[in-house]
This record gives sequence, C-alpha cells and structure tokens, in this order.
Amino acid sequence: MTPPWLVTLLSRAAWGSFYLLGGITLLGALGVVLTRNLFHSALCLAVALLGVAGLYLYLAAEFLAVAQVLIYVGAILTLLVFGVMLTARIADPTVPALNRLAWAAALVAGGIGWVFWRAVAATPGLPARPSVVVSLETLGRGLVTTYVLPFEVLSLILIGALVGAICIARRPS
Amino acid sequence: MIPLTHVLAISIGLFAIGLFGALSRRNAIGILMAIELLLNATALNLVAFNAYLPSAPAGGQALGQTVTIFVIGIAAAGAIVGLALILAVYRQTKTISADEIHLLKG
Repeated sequence: MTPPWLVTLLSRAAWGSFYLLGGITLLGALGVVLTRNLFHSALCLAVALLGVAGLYLYLAAEFLAVAQVLIYVGAILTLLVFGVMLTARIADPTVPALNRLAWAAALVAGGIGWVFWRAVAATPGLPARPSVVVSLETLGRGLVTTYVLPFEVLSLILIGALVGAICIARRPS
Repeated sequence: MIPLTHVLAISIGLFAIGLFGALSRRNAIGILMAIELLLNATALNLVAFNAYLPSAPAGGQALGQTVTIFVIGIAAAGAIVGLALILAVYRQTKTISADEIHLLKG
C-alpha cells in the first residue's frame, strides 16, 4: 500500500524528469553540431540518442526504446566512431567546426522550426495525455501480417546497403 | 500529464538542430551525425502521435511504432552507405572536409 504522498511525489518526479530528459536530448543535439572535436561530437550524439530512447519509454514504446539503444547507439554509433577513427584528424584545433554558411543555415533551420511550431500551436484539440498503449504482440503481429511487405523490403534494403558498402569501401585490388 | 505539444516541441527542436548541423558542418561525418538527428526527430514524432491519438488502421493501433521501426532500419542503411562513401573518398583525396571535396568543380 503506497502512501498517497509517495504517489504524488513519484508522479511529479516523472512529470519533471520528462522535461529534464528532453532538455538533455536537445543539449546533446547542440553538442553534436557545435563541437570541433569529432569524437566529442559522436559522444554527444550518443547522449541525444539515449535521450530519445528514454522519451520513447514515456510514450509507451518499450520495444522501440530497446531497439533504439541496440541499433542506434549499439550499431550506428559504433560505425560512426569507426569512421571517425579511420579518417579524421580528430582534434585539429585550427579547423573550425562550421563552414562559412553557418549563419544562413541557422536562419533557415530556425525559420523552418518556427514554421513547424506555428503549425503545431495553431492545431486545435491536441490531446493532453497519452492514451494508447501498444502491446508487443500487436507490433509483432502487424509486422508479419499487415506490414509484411515493407518488412521484407527493409531487409532487402539492408542487404543491398551491406553489399554496396563493401563494394564501395573495398581496397582497389 | 504531458501535452502532445510539448513532445512535438522537443521533436521540432531536434529537427531544427539536425537541419542546422547538416547544412553547416564542415566535416562529412559531422554531416552524417546531423542527418541521424533529423531521422530521430521524425521517429520521435511518429511515436508521439501513435501514443496520443488513438486510431484504427487495419493492423491494430501500432502503425506509428511500426513505421518507426522502418525509419530506424532505413537510417541504418543510409549511415552504412554514407560511411562507405566517405571512406572511399578519404582514400582518394585524404580529406573528409566537405569544403575540400570539389573534384567535379569546373
């Protein structure tokens, strides 16, 4: 029997930590695009991806949270770190991180973000609490019955990407 | 508890930051990382709408999460091919700064 003050405290903590997690995710994303050192950039990307995985947990997408950690942080980020280690002069302090068009790019990105935010804010009737809980069985059953075609095409895409990458990056013999 | 607009604000912020990085990073791998941020923003958007708006598509209520699985897979494929291309170009020109790769320039 949990005491009511504990229930209130935990729900307040859950509500507050959502915004904390969102803030950490956005800070990690800023770190990705602003740091000069590429390896630090990869680590900030790991923070941002883990933050997004935590946000999936808030949205009742537990399988997606685990898949995000396994695939994005576990595989794609490792691949990016491989690429960084193999190619870059990682800690070159004389090369700036952003090119000449950085201010124009910031303007464009800020403008697009503002347009999206106006569209979201002008939409009436967006709900205030999540209501859909998706079971893993629904997800799995959908992948092999209704959405089996994109599922199989995705595996073909991945095989094509693998073979193509090996062909592209192979040492010319 | 947490309105949908707040979740969408995080997703829009991620998208804007990723777009800024993709347009302005000097390093090709930095551009790839910013593109991963863009894809994550859209995936977060899909999952958020799935959680907040009940619908009745043919395969149950998991359409948003199913499409997110496909987005994650396609992002992986894109990152694989992008890195292979960067490695090939690096082997040829010994640089991955996007400013210095202009072999096709007249």
